[in-house]
Amino acid sequence: MDAALAITIGGLVQGSVFALVAIGFALVYRVTGTVNLAQGAFVVLGALTTYSFEQTLGWPAALAALAALAVAAIIGYLVAVCIFAPGLRRLPPSGMVMLTGGLLTLFEGAALLVWGSQPYQLPPFSGYQPVAIGGAKIPTQAFWDVGITAVVVVALWYVLQRTTFGKALRACAENPSAATLMGIDVERVRVFSYTAAAVLGALSGIAIGPVVSLQFDGGRFFTVYGFISVAIGGMGSFAGALLGGLGLGVLQQLGAAYVSSIFATTLAIALLIVTLVSRPNGLFGRGARREDNRAAAAHPIGVRTRIAPRTARIAFIAAAAVVALLPVFVGGGALSSLSIAGIVFIAVMGLDVLMGFAGQISLGHAAFVAIGGYGAAIATVRYGFPPLAGIAIGLVASLACAVVLSLITVRLRGIYMALATLAFGLLVDSLAVGLSELTGGPSGLTGVPHFSVGGYTFADARSNYYLVWGIALVVFVLLANVLRSDFGRALRAIRTDQTAALALGIDVPRYKLYAFLISAACASLAGSLYAYYFQFLSPDMVSTPRSLEYVTMLVIGGEGSLAGPLLGVLLLVILPTAIQPLNQAKTLFAGVVLVGGLLLLPQGILGVITAAIARKPARAAVHSTPPGSVPT
Amino acid sequence: MTAQPVHGDGAALAIRGLRKAFGGVVAIDDVSFDVPAGTLTALIGPNGAGKSTLFNLLTNLYRTDAGTVTFFGTPLAGKTSDAIARLGLVRTFQTARVFPGMTVLENVLAGMHVSARSPIWAHAFADARARREERTMTRRAEALLDAIGLSAMRDRDATALPLGSQKLVELARAVIARPRVLLLDEPAAGLNDAETAQLARLLVAIHRSGTTVFVVEHNMSLVMGIADNVLVLDAGKLIASGSPADIQANAAVIEAYVGRATAVPT
Repeated sequence: MDAALAITIGGLVQGSVFALVAIGFALVYRVTGTVNLAQGAFVVLGALTTYSFEQTLGWPAALAALAALAVAAIIGYLVAVCIFAPGLRRLPPSGMVMLTGGLLTLFEGAALLVWGSQPYQLPPFSGYQPVAIGGAKIPTQAFWDVGITAVVVVALWYVLQRTTFGKALRACAENPSAATLMGIDVERVRVFSYTAAAVLGALSGIAIGPVVSLQFDGGRFFTVYGFISVAIGGMGSFAGALLGGLGLGVLQQLGAAYVSSIFATTLAIALLIVTLVSRPNGLFGRGARREDNRAAAAHPIGVRTRIAPRTARIAFIAAAAVVALLPVFVGGGALSSLSIAGIVFIAVMGLDVLMGFAGQISLGHAAFVAIGGYGAAIATVRYGFPPLAGIAIGLVASLACAVVLSLITVRLRGIYMALATLAFGLLVDSLAVGLSELTGGPSGLTGVPHFSVGGYTFADARSNYYLVWGIALVVFVLLANVLRSDFGRALRAIRTDQTAALALGIDVPRYKLYAFLISAACASLAGSLYAYYFQFLSPDMVSTPRSLEYVTMLVIGGEGSLAGPLLGVLLLVILPTAIQPLNQAKTLFAGVVLVGGLLLLPQGILGVITAAIARKPARAAVHSTPPGSVPT
Repeated sequence: MTAQPVHGDGAALAIRGLRKAFGGVVAIDDVSFDVPAGTLTALIGPNGAGKSTLFNLLTNLYRTDAGTVTFFGTPLAGKTSDAIARLGLVRTFQTARVFPGMTVLENVLAGMHVSARSPIWAHAFADARARREERTMTRRAEALLDAIGLSAMRDRDATALPLGSQKLVELARAVIARPRVLLLDEPAAGLNDAETAQLARLLVAIHRSGTTVFVVEHNMSLVMGIADNVLVLDAGKLIASGSPADIQANAAVIEAYVGRATAVPT
């Protein structure tokens, strides 16, 4: 009984911090309609800056905490002004999800450079001596954390309900264009809400710092749990965020204590998916904003200009020739990087079918790479299947998961779909770590054989290179053929205007399912090849941060082109291995590329190239048009 | 004058007791009428009369509160919008909804989705029959673009065209699906006089080719010139129906609706 009380109190402490993060989420969501995936990064920022001020510089705890809040406010303000607000002006909602995902990666990368990869723990605010209540010993930090959350909730309620500024904020949340007409500076309210959310995040970090140890990439965890809290509670509802956070914290601690921590994670994510699907407004929620069906119509992301089929064919033949001849000139590490690039290219091409053509965002694509990889690895290592059968088993498992996930999420669109895929990715992450008897747990699965078929084993670097790129080329040609046909046009129609697509007889849910299956199959194939290539597979090779990397490669290369991913993959796989300093800052680089790409180069590198090619003949055509027939 | 719905076995569309309310506002109030097969029927009425709502109900973009719609004898209740399009009831939208990021040719080709037969694997492996189908579709689309004078624009992004041309592309996209009934939502809105005249010729040609056309339109001279059957909707109720001459002779309609509607520049 005392144990149960202690666990429940532990859950309330954890939950009060989830609630603080969730309130930050709700604030930004209400004012801007954006799910700020970078919210958790501020938790880590708050805790680690406090640690540095307190332990490294020797400042008193209170001063260190205040200084950390100030740092979070400044950084939050700068991010809001330089990245978030411009993003809101330029990007569709789905683009904003990717942008904040990029910010999360950027923060993780920066934190890795500043604080390294070791965990940090703050000392408790008022000593280590617990207080005994009813036989249970409760650490004093518990009172601090619950108290801080209570104060924040009351203060926020006061500001929102009783001040003019709070009214302006609520007006922006209800109707931004009407608010503008009433003379409210919407931009300023948006920047304020983002900055306030950053400070709230940092405050949660300072509060939880003495309870759990934090490291550079801990932000992900808080983003996810904060988001689950707010989604369960009802997007944009502060009371929902509070209740959702507390409930999730208690559930998490009880589940972890009485069953297992993997069960607790699975339960939380399952709860999220169920809530997203059955009650998108949350369990206690006020209404979530409904997304306009045509929100994607203004989608500026992706390659807009297509090059002529003949030019495309010449470029393809040239690229294939380069791929075929490269091993003559390069070897060793470079050849190995190129092989890895080939594998990733297969996965990102699949993602392009889903995102660039069908317009569905997936933030959990690495999950299918993981299923394909572990399917192949487990089949060959544990059950002695030949490698080709391993690939097939991975494909079957991936397609089965894709069908189930699509059936569950068929009615979700836009950001909800993106978040459901993120949740699915996290679920697979936790299973890859948790089912250690099958997967080898966090340290990975060793002894995976090389790929072999018909008695020939692909053992050396060169044969593996040709295997990988041979498959990549075949996948490229098959997909290019499909996407050029009626099927590709149907997907592109769905991406830009679902209603108009329906009116032309396009079965939208069915085509979305097809796109999802194709992308899952590509990812699964890539995962199997990954396992055979490295003869090893560990969870971090195929976990959620990889999903964001794939999105980054796709966006910077140029969505909706199939060839764009190649440029993105080469940029993110080859460049860091070629330039050493970049290798250390790989995560930061990926984050900067995604954020910068979305804001400055939404057409991707390929989009810029094709636009430049298209401009020349277009000018010539205008000159050659006879006078009088030039359209006005 | 009360509505005199035309009843007949040859109805392409038969609408009975249709009703739709948004909150407390009744947008369509117990509307019944037929669109006889082979006619060019026009629906007129002032802004806010419920014309576009009616179209959205016919194609199940909105859920009806009460009433039935049958299409050549097939009840449309419970069918998805795309299934309705595949039955042969194809519509356009009030604002030209061409697909951005797709060329004019690709937009028109998208209209042929209903007749595309090749399965995905046939396309993937560049099967000869699938390639032949694509080539045939492309030829048909090019011929249609030629006929409406948009050949020169075939490889331009459809949204880069002027509005009038975008509306023509959208019309072509619907026509090439070879619908049994074509629903047009204000095809002349935003067009200049020359474009409207071209539109009128196109509509007559489409109608003569055997397609039943049901058009919602503000432009009275266009409607009166080409329609052989006119329905008048006001405040969600059908208030008159008949030949263009009947409607023009109906003092109440002219006074209350047609007069007002023509006075409003479109």
